[in-house]
Amino acid sequence: MTWSDYLPIWPLAITPALWIALTLVVAVLVGEALVRHLRLPRIVGYVGVGLLLGPHAFGLIPELPLTEWRLVIDLALGILLFELGSKVNLHWLKTNRWIAGASLLEAAATFFLVFALLVWMDTPGATAAVVAAILIATSPAIVVRTITESRAQGQVTDRLLLMTALNCIYAVILHKLTVAAMHGAAGTSALHTILQPLYLIGGSALLAWLFGFTFERIHHYLGHHEETFSFILFGMIAFATIMASTLKLSPVLVLLAAGLITRYHRQRPRTFPPHFGSAGAVLVVLMFIGNGLAGNLSGLRESFLLVWLLIGVRAVAKISSVLALAHHSGLSLRQGTALGVALMPMSSVTLLLTLETSATFPSFASGFGLTLMSCIVILELIGPILVQVSLRRAGETPETSQR
Amino acid sequence: MSLMPFASSRPLSMGVELELQLLSCNDYNLVSSAPDILRRVSKRAHPGEIKPEMTRSMIEINTSVQHEYSGLVNELHALRDVVSDAGRFLNIAVAGGGTHPFQHWSEQKIFDAPRFHYLSELYGYLAKQFTIFGQHVHVGCPGPDEALHLMHMLSRYIPHFIALSASSPFVQGHDTGFASARLNSVFSFPLSGRAPFVLRWEDFEKFFSKMTSTGVVESMKDFYWDIRPKPEFGTIEVRVCDTPLTVEIAAAIACYIQAMSRYIMVEQRIAPEEDDYLVYTFNRFQACRFGLEGVFIDPRTHEQRSIREDITDMLSRIADHARELRATEAMERIREILINGNGTTWLRKTYSREHNLGDVMQLQAELWMRA
Repeated sequence: MTWSDYLPIWPLAITPALWIALTLVVAVLVGEALVRHLRLPRIVGYVGVGLLLGPHAFGLIPELPLTEWRLVIDLALGILLFELGSKVNLHWLKTNRWIAGASLLEAAATFFLVFALLVWMDTPGATAAVVAAILIATSPAIVVRTITESRAQGQVTDRLLLMTALNCIYAVILHKLTVAAMHGAAGTSALHTILQPLYLIGGSALLAWLFGFTFERIHHYLGHHEETFSFILFGMIAFATIMASTLKLSPVLVLLAAGLITRYHRQRPRTFPPHFGSAGAVLVVLMFIGNGLAGNLSGLRESFLLVWLLIGVRAVAKISSVLALAHHSGLSLRQGTALGVALMPMSSVTLLLTLETSATFPSFASGFGLTLMSCIVILELIGPILVQVSLRRAGETPETSQR
Repeated sequence: MSLMPFASSRPLSMGVELELQLLSCNDYNLVSSAPDILRRVSKRAHPGEIKPEMTRSMIEINTSVQHEYSGLVNELHALRDVVSDAGRFLNIAVAGGGTHPFQHWSEQKIFDAPRFHYLSELYGYLAKQFTIFGQHVHVGCPGPDEALHLMHMLSRYIPHFIALSASSPFVQGHDTGFASARLNSVFSFPLSGRAPFVLRWEDFEKFFSKMTSTGVVESMKDFYWDIRPKPEFGTIEVRVCDTPLTVEIAAAIACYIQAMSRYIMVEQRIAPEEDDYLVYTFNRFQACRFGLEGVFIDPRTHEQRSIREDITDMLSRIADHARELRATEAMERIREILINGNGTTWLRKTYSREHNLGDVMQLQAELWMRA
């Protein structure tokens, strides 16, 4: 027998998983410190720690193949999207059409202003349209997580959830359409350009309906047993995500629509624990750390001005649209401003759309892909703070936490 | 500050104030949206008044001066519809009922107005605990001495009003066993209870100036009595009722008080005695705890009967007065409550069917907002 039979060999062979485990501990501690000392949202800590330790900064954690994170991100995002959908009351759009108007105006203004900016800067039309479509989306992950954390309730909170759900749907559909146009520009027949989005919307809606229907049956059968229920739900979300990818549908659209459909058809509203239980909450934290690790600010070097112009134009479009219709939709000026500002965050959905486009068009990956990645990192770090401050200024957070 | 002179009002005119709950349509918990609702209704023409209350999850609707049931119920319908429409526009449900079954007092936010901030400073958590919902009924009196007379005579029948309107069995997620748990929150205020036994307005003025000179009170508003005179309106104000689950019941209870006042002023004509108050707190407790099944002890004869029996008896005594006031339909509704039960009966029945207080609250809001 030799030493090496029972003692580890120096230097230690450490798997990346160990570092990730350690990062989880550090990130959660940093998140807590931010809350206690600076009253900042915890997400800033999760994303920030991931970013700092990740391959693009100090590089303490080696670059992980995205596939390893993919299940975590898909599952966590699936939970958050389904949660968002099930918090949104679509019936409201019938009694207050100004909200539907504000949502459409906000998305249209974002799309056209960004598109105009990029075309003015000599970007090809199809590429400009793809970027503009991606920038419509507000991050459901940051919005849901920050609202949960700040225990906000009120007009701005309700509308933020509704408008986030809607603009994610617009973004995913418009993204498919504009990518199809990009294909068209690259020379694909018109038939496929039309059929592809139809298949996407119809297929996603059908899968979402099946998910929602099954969910309701199981929920009815199991009742309020949290643990059993969350296990089944995670299984269903993983299944739906993989199924959607296999069928070349959009997992984002499927899970968001599933949440919306279950809420729309439900006679009695149901409240679920945040992220459907603590297991879901751990996944959500891991997702934000993962987003930080994947964060890439190298685009800032090449196109510093463009990154900030895109962020600025997007902000102007969203805030001014919401403000324009605030009065008619029953909001005060202060609430309208808060709502507009709270629509800023970008995170996982934008990231997924960007990565998807980059995978299809390598030239996009090295160009606008990097620009968008920089926008995402910036708005992932600032976004949660903007949402928290907006909700606080609108008077929708509990008074005790304002001390 | 001295008490303002007792204004003149048309005898037996009435006005109703109802405090309402504002609920989130997501979980039917209370939501601090009074400013949003008030901003919305301020654009619409409506009778009466719609006002803020202590915390931001409450609003109050006030009718104008009314004389009979049909006018009162019509105006309450109009007010209800304006508030309900504003609610639908803002994804907020509106409901009656004396308490919210599972709200937590610490989550309530004080409405941004000087008086509410002052009260919150003074009473501390009691102010937030005061997120409870009552019906106040004003009855017009020909003069100040008549007002004091009516106030003391009506005091005897306080259990009737409590038992008929009771709709607050649930507090902080549990059945309290009380028909009206709301009043328990009122009793924790130092100046709650009953008015002193004085029968002439000049004696009442003396009492009031003694109280103000001690610095304990500044105005009549600081007394949280079960019934109190309201000199600026020329009325007495009955304040013990829970907000009922529908406006029709609220109007019927107001008319029951009106008809009983007519009976006291026109027919009964006996003087109140201080000893009438010997059984006051016992009777009131019985009404809060057991509702219509509670024991009622007659202060003069010491006879014991159920509150339901005493109301049945009263209905036959005031029938002619109700007819004079064109309130026969209102008396029918009171009789229906005696048979089918009050709001608390409905709430307990609904809970035993739904097993979920959020669902009860949703149905309660649907009952209130029903067009």
